[in-house]
Amino acid sequence: MDIFLQQMVNGLTIGSLYALVALGYTMVYGVMRLINFAHGDLVAFSAFIGLSVYAQIFGESITSLVAVITVFVFTAAIVAFVGVLLERLAYRPLRTAPRLSAVVSALGAGLVIQNSVMLIWGPNMKIFPSNLFPSTIWEIGGIVITFTQVMILGVSSVLMVGLYFFIHQTKIGTAIRAVAIDQDAAKLMGINVNRIIMIIFIIGSALGAVAGLFIGTYYRGITFDMGWMYGLNAFVAAIMGGIGNIPGAMLGGLLLGLFNAMITGYISTQWAETFTFVLLIGILVLRPTGILGETVAEKV
Amino acid sequence: MMNKTSLIAIALLVFMGFFPLFVDSAWLAVGTTFLVFAVVALSQDIILGRAGVFHMGHAVFFGLGAYTTAILNVNFGLPILATWAPAVLIPMLVAFIMVAPIIHLRGDYLLVATIGFNIIFIQVLENDVFGLTGGPNGLFGIDVVRLFGYDFSSQTHMYYMAFILLGLTLLIMRNLDKSKFGRAMFYIHKDEIAAQSMGINVRYFKLYAFILGAGIAGAAGSMFSVQYSAVSPEAFNVTQSIMFFTIVLVGGSASLPGVLIGTFIMFVLPEMFREFETARYLVFGIAMILTMILRPRGIWPVRFGNIPDFLKKGVK
Amino acid sequence: MKKMLPKIAASLAVCSILAGASVAADVIKIGVQAPITGSYASEGQSIDNGVKLIVEQYNAKGGILGKKIEVVTCDDQGAAQQAAICAKKLVNEGVKAVIGSYTSGATEAAQTTYHRAGVLQTSDGTSDSLIAHKYWTFFRNSFPNSAEAEYTAKYFVDGKQYKKIVILSDYSSYSTDLADATVKALKAKNANIIYEGKIKSGSQNFTATLTKIKSMDPDVIYFSGYYTDGGLLRAQQIQLGIKADFVGGDSNDNPDYMKLAGDSAKGTLLINVPTPDILPYDIAKTFLVDYKAKFNMAPASIWSLMNVDGLRAILHVMEQSKSDDTKVIAEGLHALKDFPGITGPVTFREDGERIGGGYMTYEVQADKSYKIVYQ
Repeated sequence: MDIFLQQMVNGLTIGSLYALVALGYTMVYGVMRLINFAHGDLVAFSAFIGLSVYAQIFGESITSLVAVITVFVFTAAIVAFVGVLLERLAYRPLRTAPRLSAVVSALGAGLVIQNSVMLIWGPNMKIFPSNLFPSTIWEIGGIVITFTQVMILGVSSVLMVGLYFFIHQTKIGTAIRAVAIDQDAAKLMGINVNRIIMIIFIIGSALGAVAGLFIGTYYRGITFDMGWMYGLNAFVAAIMGGIGNIPGAMLGGLLLGLFNAMITGYISTQWAETFTFVLLIGILVLRPTGILGETVAEKV
Repeated sequence: MMNKTSLIAIALLVFMGFFPLFVDSAWLAVGTTFLVFAVVALSQDIILGRAGVFHMGHAVFFGLGAYTTAILNVNFGLPILATWAPAVLIPMLVAFIMVAPIIHLRGDYLLVATIGFNIIFIQVLENDVFGLTGGPNGLFGIDVVRLFGYDFSSQTHMYYMAFILLGLTLLIMRNLDKSKFGRAMFYIHKDEIAAQSMGINVRYFKLYAFILGAGIAGAAGSMFSVQYSAVSPEAFNVTQSIMFFTIVLVGGSASLPGVLIGTFIMFVLPEMFREFETARYLVFGIAMILTMILRPRGIWPVRFGNIPDFLKKGVK
Repeated sequence: MKKMLPKIAASLAVCSILAGASVAADVIKIGVQAPITGSYASEGQSIDNGVKLIVEQYNAKGGILGKKIEVVTCDDQGAAQQAAICAKKLVNEGVKAVIGSYTSGATEAAQTTYHRAGVLQTSDGTSDSLIAHKYWTFFRNSFPNSAEAEYTAKYFVDGKQYKKIVILSDYSSYSTDLADATVKALKAKNANIIYEGKIKSGSQNFTATLTKIKSMDPDVIYFSGYYTDGGLLRAQQIQLGIKADFVGGDSNDNPDYMKLAGDSAKGTLLINVPTPDILPYDIAKTFLVDYKAKFNMAPASIWSLMNVDGLRAILHVMEQSKSDDTKVIAEGLHALKDFPGITGPVTFREDGERIGGGYMTYEVQADKSYKIVYQ
């Protein structure tokens, strides 16, 4: 039993990272109907930015709560700025172009980010300092949980709940939902669509940045090309939950993390990805709009 | 009267035909790779450009062809010639089984499903199913083409085999445009729902495009495995699929010269700019974005207006 | 059509210039096929550096057989398909011999092409399968997995007397081969292997597999893969509170292992041939000094030195036999007896195997230094 619970903890940790990244995909898709293929690379980019911010400000030796918070805030701000820049330069000019043109542009943007990271930080694996979080380990009834895991679970829950209320309780949140449903109608109601899209990219990129930093602190080794793997899993999570649907992305991320941990722990390491994608294709065939997605008539 | 496209096609074929006389074997190898990838890109275009299906898993069919030849040759000792037919038929069969259940999915969902198939395909190869695929390192020591005691092993032989394959592919595509299938494709691409209400069986034709594209990609895969005498999973991963996808859209979907230009840009230019090794993909990414912004329909977009050639015939 | 003609003419002109350019001056070309980028970049770059250093030293003395040596490097990224492409490329470049690659998989993928073209190849790849083809062109400059497996089994059973052994590997040809050889050697000694598993290299998160292992309460976890995963495995093992010893096969012996594992690195047992800094030979000491002077760092590991020895042996035979014919050089290499190498005497068996190999076990100390605990 404690092995099962341990696998749950493992799965939820990685699942909440997927969820944070999935939110970025799902919000952009919801508003722009665009698969933002560059998002995964932005996550990897954040990890490297975080590493440099940390080294620049604190010189790798000082650790305190203030230091950690500064690193997170700085990194999130920089990455959010890059995200907005990405939208301005690579996506906005293509808003009226054929849909696949924007997809190619997104793929190109991903290449640009990934290779910039390689040129700036080099092709070798970079190692995150181990002292960002205390190496405290708790053992509760045979289940081991580390400080970093608690931070990942805690911070991502707070961010997700916060985002949910932001979308549903605030004026900007309502505007975001309006733009997602019908851009033209939203424009007629006096909503500045460009501003809403900018906000979407700020939030999505910042959440991705937090995920990227957690990946660095949790796994320590970061590589310029790791964004693809996290991006793909998060993207799958977003679709499972129902792409365009914010609670769906959170649910999808957590479920995917759990599903992966259980498959790896009890069935097969070798076939874990196959199970994931068979599940995904199954969901697509039986319920194309995902678990929480609403069934809407196809727009003609 | 020949049209402009045919002229260009002929000029290109003549040029490519004489290409080996002027270059050394290193460039001949690049030329061979160009031809093989051009065939794959054209077959991707049948599915993506002509049938308009968002398909990002074409490396599966390319890989199936390559692995069919490799497995039959390395594990069962069949001569390469005997593997050609299975290397075309197996990808077609798999395309049918794989795609039939999902062909009705809407654009982006289909795109994700095809990515999913590609990832599953790679995992099957890596896990060395039935001990056939050689696991993550793949299969090595694939034979050369032998016929009547001659072996066609030189780079020049390889080049001309790929050249003939490209010629065949161009021929198929030419006939395709003139056929019932070509006309149906055109309507589906323009307006799927209108085509459906006109009585065109959209599912059938999309599936047809998939199976045809898979077969051609399989043939190219077989050639690829002989060219490098080795196959391994990473040559057929999603990144490769994304490459083929990008070639078609950057070049110009449903446009023959467009797809060839796309292949040239994505596969030959990187060879020429080896010295800028590290920065070249950065430049590539920027070029992809700029191309899409400046020419959203590709570098050489297909130029028929709203009235396709086959309807104009009678009017002239 | 008219418009096209000048373009075609121009392209043809360009092609003939390119063709002309590659018929270069009279040099002897040596290829390097190594992972210059990718996960094993530090090893690949180290091989490339080592080869360039030796070649530079030769050229300073006036080259070989009256010709300058030129190095052509191709980055195989540690991936098999890229290796096959590199092989074609290097053969087309007209190299006489190829040094590398670092990984067995990339080496094996390129073997056939070199053999068909009669190009010599020397690699540190340790998979036993590398010499299975008995290609006359192939020379292993390191020692095979089976030798390491024998040593490991002896250490586990006679030395440590482990009762519950877990064996982990990744999917690469080298790691699988070493794990299989180790399992075979352990079984021959009636050891109790409680779990044999695989991890996916580069997937970072190994907690699910380790949690499963935890429930089995093993004495030792043996990992036959590479340092990039080994360091993380060790860190996550300590995090999950698994008390077992962690023993890493030779490819875990890399400075990045220490960085990845952080504080958890302490207590790790690493099995390898002697590290570069404890090599007792004079040529080794000189080479290390030269290397540091030129590149301002130490070689990544012993593996690049093995490859350098492969190159040195080839150049030595070339000089002795006064021939750049690969057949003649291959015969010369087979006839070589105890050629003084940086990593010890070099002697090749008929199938290209390097004879010898003395393994050691190091325990990683708190300050990341090594202590020899078993020989």
